[in-house]
Amino acid sequence: MNVVSATGLAVIDVTRDIRDILRMGARTLRFVVRGRKDRRMIVEQMHQIGNKSVFFITVTMGFIGMILVFQSALQALRIVPDLSLLGATYGEILIRDLGASIGAMMLATRVGAGIAAEIGSMVVTEQVDALRMCSADPVEYLVVPRFLASMVMTFCLLVWACVVAYLSGMVTAYVVFDVNFLTFANFMLVDAGDVIVGLTKCLAYGAAIPIVSAQRGLATFGGSEGVGWATTSAVVSSSLAVIVLQFFISAVGYLVFPG
Amino acid sequence: MSIRFENVRKAFGSKVVLEDVGFEVGSGECFFIIGASGVGKSVLIKHLIGLLRPDGGSIYLDGEEVSRLTEKEFFSVRKKCAMVFQNSTLFDSMTCAENVALPLRKHKRLGAKAALKEALERLDTVHMREFANAYPPELGDGMQKRVAIARALTLDPRYVLFDEPTTSLDPVSARRVDQMIRELCDEVGVTSIVVSHDLRSIFGIADRICMLYKGHVRMLGTPEDFQTTDDPVVQQFINGRAEGPMEV
Repeated sequence: MNVVSATGLAVIDVTRDIRDILRMGARTLRFVVRGRKDRRMIVEQMHQIGNKSVFFITVTMGFIGMILVFQSALQALRIVPDLSLLGATYGEILIRDLGASIGAMMLATRVGAGIAAEIGSMVVTEQVDALRMCSADPVEYLVVPRFLASMVMTFCLLVWACVVAYLSGMVTAYVVFDVNFLTFANFMLVDAGDVIVGLTKCLAYGAAIPIVSAQRGLATFGGSEGVGWATTSAVVSSSLAVIVLQFFISAVGYLVFPG
Repeated sequence: MSIRFENVRKAFGSKVVLEDVGFEVGSGECFFIIGASGVGKSVLIKHLIGLLRPDGGSIYLDGEEVSRLTEKEFFSVRKKCAMVFQNSTLFDSMTCAENVALPLRKHKRLGAKAALKEALERLDTVHMREFANAYPPELGDGMQKRVAIARALTLDPRYVLFDEPTTSLDPVSARRVDQMIRELCDEVGVTSIVVSHDLRSIFGIADRICMLYKGHVRMLGTPEDFQTTDDPVVQQFINGRAEGPMEV
């Protein structure tokens, strides 16, 4: 196979994947509006996605917050010997961009992999076929509860991720650079636009991760090897979706709220 | 009333699994599809209920072509044609009663209470009523299979497809399942298509047998025809011999 045909096949594959994910998103939204909602299943998924991710997201975002502030302060000190605006700048970038996006990348690995593995296993053990035999749409039964649970819990987790990263950054600034807590806790650079953009990202990631991962899970074929591939693919695709969404929401955000 | 496969062809990528497969199953018949693992037996029966779509050929159910129906149009086909899957396929997050009630709620649009009441009666027929509130992972393979059969029969289907119903069951449970399949044909008039490797089942309850080999129908006939044939491939398979002309 030459380079041209290999590139062509890759483009076709990517296009097909994007089409399938968009279709899955449209079907999910249609069932969210018109379908039945299984409260028990949604609560169970909220526990799986939300409660079980709290420790993971707290630890990872805690360390990331420390690294971000440490590196930012080091770089800033090379230019100006004044860190009084460190907290203000860090707060703005965390709320508008990094908190939600880094947190969502972390969640994509845990939540995305879990959704794809669970649904993929149901595909290879024919449980999804059994659902179809019962006239139950797999999207309505499997994807919608995870989508609704993720919308709520990812949103909450990403807000929590920002809080943790901010606090760990604040402690780092105090311990390493002797920046007073009150000096660091400066939100004068944060405006309504930053908050709106940040919260929009939280919602968008909460919607994208389950849809992309469920689509990968439902496309599983083969046995346990297929489930493994689906899981890997879900993590990669969810992370890509987060980055792409971050780019577009940030771009629109800077046009609407130039800050 | 009958099932008819005409020149059905199916490939997965470059691998052709079924090629010009055709046969007819009569009403009330207990029809077995046999063949080596991976020959396409389960793939073939899944075409009848729209879980897979053929690349070529046609499939008829009660004289109506079903191979071109949409997913929604298949709902009515799945009401009269149930399937018992190889892996039981009960939903782990639901109790046995809820599993059995699901088709009643979706197909018959029954309320939760009415569906559960009927599900209990269905579980009674397979002697699983006392496990109505148990979750599938708490049950053994044989018990799960019985619940799966109860779920498949909740809508009183005229056709039931069994995909290796006795695989992984102990001999006693396997013969009970055989007996249940035979009774369905004889007493209720259900047409059964059974995919199986189990020689005791095949020669114990089959009316007719179809053997698939290399994507084609190798032989079609009664159990007696199979036992008396000179075809070395068929003989090797039904005698379970390791040596012979059969390529796996």
